[in-house]
Amino acid sequence: MSDSGDPLNARSRRKATGPKRIRRPLGPRPDNVFDPGLQHERTALAWERTAISMMVAGIIMARYAAQDAYQGIAVLGLVQVMLGGAVLLWSAWHYDELHGPLRDGNPVIHPTAARLVGISTLVFSSVALVLAVLFTLTR
Amino acid sequence: MAEQNTRRHLLPPDPRLVGEEPDYRFTLANERTFLAWIRTALALAAGGLGALHLIDDTYSSALLGIALLALSVATAATSYRRWALNETSMRLNEPLPHSRLPQVMAVATTVVAVMAAILFAIDKA
Repeated sequence: MSDSGDPLNARSRRKATGPKRIRRPLGPRPDNVFDPGLQHERTALAWERTAISMMVAGIIMARYAAQDAYQGIAVLGLVQVMLGGAVLLWSAWHYDELHGPLRDGNPVIHPTAARLVGISTLVFSSVALVLAVLFTLTR
Repeated sequence: MAEQNTRRHLLPPDPRLVGEEPDYRFTLANERTFLAWIRTALALAAGGLGALHLIDDTYSSALLGIALLALSVATAATSYRRWALNETSMRLNEPLPHSRLPQVMAVATTVVAVMAAILFAIDKA
């Protein structure tokens, strides 16, 4: 992911242009529409909605697990909240980062983030299901 | 043959290993679809936990909660696989793989809703 030698990178550009500071990592100004349908922005928003959903689901689980004295599972809920927060921060940062590669026509795929979110959601749902079954059986 | 093996796994290999980069808009649309499924799974989980805790302590609410959570697990377990298989197909310029998950979800959600209505009608009576 390190693209320090990339002339489109914000930091190296700032250095190159000296006192005239450019605030966004923009490439040469395009003469056509850069991102038809705002696909990039819609995807960034989808990531953010997902991150917020992760945090909400984590809060619900932490709260209910704590009520029923399953402290370990409450901690797992809090971990999910933190993970959601991390995804939220990552998506905000990544939205800026991806402008350069998009304009250059470089790949925009991120399987690692998809894997992380997919696996964490599966773990979350499975733990919730186990908790529900335990709760019902031990009542 | 290799593809058949890939299809069976919950975690297929990195799609970047095969084919060529498709139009970035397709990659991003695939990513949004994946994220929408993840949110569906999280919403089902939240609904299931809510059914277990917000509704009076009855076996019907437990049944409802467990059904919703099981649906959530099924959705979460297949979403990454679907994303990777779609991405792989796009990179190989093949038709997108067929999935029965939307059908299963529609039927299962309807069943859960009808179940909820019946259980609470019985509870009230």
